[in-house]
Amino acid sequence: MKRSARIAVAATAVILTGTAAADDGALRDGRIAYVMTNLFWSVYQTEDAKDECPRGFNDGPREQFAKLFPKPEGMTVEETQLRQEIETWHPTSEPDGFEFYEVEGRYSWGLDLDGEASPEDFTHPDGGEGIDNQVYRAVGCIIGFRGPDGVEFIFQDKAIMDERYNRMMIELSGVDSLDNDDEVSVSLYRGLDRLLTDATGEKVMPGGSQRVDARWGASLIRHTTGRIVDGVLSTEPIPEVVIPWQNLRVASVHLIRDLRFVLDLAPEGATGLVAGYADVDTWYRQLIRNDSTHHLSNGQISGISLYKALRRLADAYPDPVTGENTAISTALDVKMAQVFVVHPGGEQDGGAGVTR
Amino acid sequence: MRSAKFLSRRLQATLPVAWLLASAAAVAQGGPFEQWLDVPMPPGFRVENTELEGPVFADRDGRTLYEWPLHVQRNGYSGESPDTPACYDEVLTVTAGLMSPYPPGIVLPELETRPSCTDLWPPAYADADAKPVGDWSIVERRDGTRQWAYAEQPLYTSVRDAEPGDTLGGSKRPYGGDSPAYRVPIGPPPAVPPGFAVRTTSTGRMLTTDRNDSVYAYEGDAPDASNCRGECERRFRPLLAPALARSFGEWTILARSPGVRQWVYRGEPLYTFALDEHSWSQQGSDEPGWHNVYTQKAPPFPASFTVQATIVGDVLADQRGMTIYVYQCGDDSQDQLSCDHPDDTQVYRLAMCGGGDPKRCLEYWPYVRAADHETGGSRTWSVIGIDPATGHKAKPEQADAIRVWAFRDRPIYTYAGDRQPGDTHGDGTGEWRGQRNGLRGFWLRNDMLEGPR
Repeated sequence: MKRSARIAVAATAVILTGTAAADDGALRDGRIAYVMTNLFWSVYQTEDAKDECPRGFNDGPREQFAKLFPKPEGMTVEETQLRQEIETWHPTSEPDGFEFYEVEGRYSWGLDLDGEASPEDFTHPDGGEGIDNQVYRAVGCIIGFRGPDGVEFIFQDKAIMDERYNRMMIELSGVDSLDNDDEVSVSLYRGLDRLLTDATGEKVMPGGSQRVDARWGASLIRHTTGRIVDGVLSTEPIPEVVIPWQNLRVASVHLIRDLRFVLDLAPEGATGLVAGYADVDTWYRQLIRNDSTHHLSNGQISGISLYKALRRLADAYPDPVTGENTAISTALDVKMAQVFVVHPGGEQDGGAGVTR
Repeated sequence: MRSAKFLSRRLQATLPVAWLLASAAAVAQGGPFEQWLDVPMPPGFRVENTELEGPVFADRDGRTLYEWPLHVQRNGYSGESPDTPACYDEVLTVTAGLMSPYPPGIVLPELETRPSCTDLWPPAYADADAKPVGDWSIVERRDGTRQWAYAEQPLYTSVRDAEPGDTLGGSKRPYGGDSPAYRVPIGPPPAVPPGFAVRTTSTGRMLTTDRNDSVYAYEGDAPDASNCRGECERRFRPLLAPALARSFGEWTILARSPGVRQWVYRGEPLYTFALDEHSWSQQGSDEPGWHNVYTQKAPPFPASFTVQATIVGDVLADQRGMTIYVYQCGDDSQDQLSCDHPDDTQVYRLAMCGGGDPKRCLEYWPYVRAADHETGGSRTWSVIGIDPATGHKAKPEQADAIRVWAFRDRPIYTYAGDRQPGDTHGDGTGEWRGQRNGLRGFWLRNDMLEGPR
């Protein structure tokens, strides 16, 4: 089963059907919108991780500290704690003395971003070649990034449910059919409202409404086009997208270049991938600003070692002066629920177009 | 010598006017000071109005009194249990290991100059004949000396405070669970009716309900007339006074209609905003003619500063529009001594801002310089001289000293990683998301990360 189709089935099972919105048909006046309910780095995991991480998982700050300073008593704060914090906050590409376990497996979720199949690329589980996802190569053998209980995985899912800061959504317009359409317009907004859930508060429902954040979120708005083929939306790349991303109330972001969506569309929701090239420094600083060394330790995430891996594996956007790549290919799993978008002034799109 | 302006805004806590103190003559910059409820105090103790924290208790010399509440850390507790002083004159030499993943027993920086807890926080000693009064009690320290306590918390003064009304030692602003165990100034209850509360924010002492809903007022109203009727009432809900409530002090009651009574504060009928999405919101102030209500506003920031919109809300910025950051620091000793002031060790700050290199700090996290003509306009915002090589305060005659803006006597910074106005890429830099040895943005309004209402 194709990855996208598999996700679609799962999402449909999660999202309760039978709402008034779905019954009426969420595609109205050629418009439909979806809000993100899950968004996380796409990590291909085998059951025992032996395929992708045959040498095991990486150490985190706690393990590295113990190896560096087996008897810290008598040493100074400057020699120990602050030394590690300086390495974290002022990282370099120089080796840190620890072997870093990159993903060694053949397969990865993701997209062929550059149209080429190079040696560092992965193979899609469905057989497609040229998959660009070097973030996966860097984080795939760090337990904090692996589902279902990695610290990053858990925090990110929780933050999307709990917060509005990261309430990103897309709106499709000019849609003739959710099955096939040669060209549709796609807009990316931030919403202002909480997710519509069922009575448990856990399951996101289709048919909610989201006001467009045209004030604080104005700089986040993007537009592109796409086409729908057999129910799958593929968008043209957006040159630069800022994704608000936080899990412990620090207002950080990810900066993704050439970002594109590939989504299985349904009236109740959409599932699939967001892919592009992540700015390495922004990616890294998002991680360490939101997670203290304590939180990183819980996921065995050594920021010091990971930064070096990100730099080593970066594969796009070379710095014009140094030639060093500044961005790294990536893919994110995304799940979305259908919503009605309310634009400033009261126009409600993605639904009946009524003003309220 | 204390300034005349300072003296004029001080209030006498002993005025025998029922249980309220009037502050009609006490005018802070931009508005009046907060009134408080009179409570019994030890002889000579008094209440001082402060720019940021509202009324605080002070000893007979006018020094602000602080408590050190017990605070849960990741691997234990710091602060003081009720009636149990824990701040002594012993200079602690190693870390307590309260914040994982770092273990205890590591040698603290600059031991040769490290102060003891009481060097920074002199206990508020009680005389031999002092007697408990009201919520004030006396606890015995290890050496047998007697120390004042309020609501069972032992009390201290701060060496950072130079004159009455200073609160440079700490703030009442709530702090996160991963913050150091801060010392907190204490004061009398604000003079608000039951059902209301006051919270210290970056914009002032914000009036809220006791459920933390913001309170608003409408410029189209009058003390005896509300013009918010009909559809307006569906958005802004009048804050109703109980049948037995009576006017007092700055609070009066408006009869909206027979039997429906609305609280009025300083002549403004009060409301909550139905569409507020989180506690302590400012969203209602976006409605034309409406504004949040404060018992006292924070002192105005320097005239050259600006306010910038970000993807979170409004942040204070320098004259170029670049986000301003405040450095926060507390060490991992059992004493939880601060390291955020220029007189404290600079080891932590230099590590974070420049990897230990003062020159890199000046490059990555430059001070907000004060122009030659600029001087501090309040005790909250001041211009201080800094030695750029050390980060400590410069000596008066130091030729290479730089003049920088300070908030609460601590320098403020911008971040080289911010490229344009509205960027806040430095927010949360440092240990524990910038709460313990790092930098946080100077937020004036936060619409996105305040949590649910």
